[in-house]
Amino acid sequence: MVEDRVRRLRALVSAGRVDRDASVVGLVCELCVAELSISGAGATVLSHLPDDVGTALGRGLVYATDPVSAGLEDLQLTVNEGPCLDAFASGGPVLVADLAAEAARWPGFTPAACELGVAAVFSFPLQVGVVRLGSLDLHRDSVGPLSRVEMANALVLAGLATQEVVADLDGHDVADLSWLADPHVEIHQAAGMVQAQLGASTEVALLRLRAHAFTSGLPLAEVARQVVARALRFTDDGDRR
Amino acid sequence: MSTARDQQLASTFVALADTLVADFDVLDFLGLLTERAVDLLAVDAAGVILSDQRGGWRPAAGSSEHAHLVEVFAAQTRQGPCLDCVRGGVVVASWDLAEEAARWPAFGPVAVAAGFRAVCAVPMRLRDDVIGALTLLSAAPGPIDDASVALGQALADVATIGILQQRAIRHDAIVYEQLQAALHHRTVVEQAKGVVAEVTGLGMHESYTALREYSHAHRRRLSEVAAEIATGALSPAVLRDAASATSGTNRDAK
Repeated sequence: MVEDRVRRLRALVSAGRVDRDASVVGLVCELCVAELSISGAGATVLSHLPDDVGTALGRGLVYATDPVSAGLEDLQLTVNEGPCLDAFASGGPVLVADLAAEAARWPGFTPAACELGVAAVFSFPLQVGVVRLGSLDLHRDSVGPLSRVEMANALVLAGLATQEVVADLDGHDVADLSWLADPHVEIHQAAGMVQAQLGASTEVALLRLRAHAFTSGLPLAEVARQVVARALRFTDDGDRR
Repeated sequence: MSTARDQQLASTFVALADTLVADFDVLDFLGLLTERAVDLLAVDAAGVILSDQRGGWRPAAGSSEHAHLVEVFAAQTRQGPCLDCVRGGVVVASWDLAEEAARWPAFGPVAVAAGFRAVCAVPMRLRDDVIGALTLLSAAPGPIDDASVALGQALADVATIGILQQRAIRHDAIVYEQLQAALHHRTVVEQAKGVVAEVTGLGMHESYTALREYSHAHRRRLSEVAAEIATGALSPAVLRDAASATSGTNRDAK
């Protein structure tokens, strides 16, 4: 059942990608609109410095399926508050079925968002632990929550968007889609070990692990197991056994 | 129930209540809960698995973070008593995992290889939903007694309340927000464990213990300390003292 949902949504992403040269994150936004009872979707992908001098994050690419979504993305960055920033702070999604009722929560964001015609907003952080990649923000022009099935689909789509942002960063399209939600926690442990080996950020460590998996043809989980077992170390010169 | 156990039980609930303050940490709370479950219920290991709300399940806390136990909890998310428990919303038990080849062909051997023979999974229920399960594991085959199962259910209920924190459960949105945040923090803790393990040479379980002891000693939230370690805001070297003070307090099979 889980695999079916993920497979179906992933197939839709792949199909959309073949059709045109669209950005995958933009495609995920469009899929959100098609699959969920929402009016529009937007995403902000934080810009990253790959050489990493302290994970300087800036405003990166913004995707939006409609002008209201674009306005919402702009608004959060302008007033520096809103569901997307709260989602990063809490680590989980921020789900607001009736935005007008939450005026006290975001005094700057809420009135302006309502003026744009937004009645409900649902923000999902795009992140891998401490690696912050961006956010996926959905909105609707009428109040009401997402259904359970919609929530499950939204979480899967946010996961796919996260995966695609990472793939965009390193250029490796790893077909194995299980690595993000994998209960094999070694991947995250290995990222922590490799970042300490390299004196780099978690993000750089994650990219190096993926690059090693890609070039060696091993599954990411296997590479991670070797790192955690202290059988594989990463250095600035290369990966060493 | 013995008087000694009554006292233990009372102290457990006091300790759990103490963590349920305004700014408490869900993962730390679940870690404490699983450790206390081991002591209180006379089992060898305990763990909490939570719904990922996409139809899957993820390990969130264990009485220890030793690799063999982590493997068992990972395997549980694919097959086994825990999965049957959350699907049916009922207690699922096996008194001898070595005899369960037909019931759980993948899970049984993993659990037995890790040193566990008996298991009991108790659902974490919220109204009509099951948001997770508390799993109890014993090294010796044989039934886990009814009183322990009942107490396990009480702890599972406390765990549910803890995850949803003190906020009134107005609607499903808060459940989604809290559960996803807990799973996110779990990933951050894994990343921090990796950093600590590499810098100190400690194992993953000892790294986790060092993180928790440092958090407790400094009255900080585990997930905040973990995030600071993983982002480099806090040097893992500060954990060395906490680590050196660590002793094996958890009973653990194998």
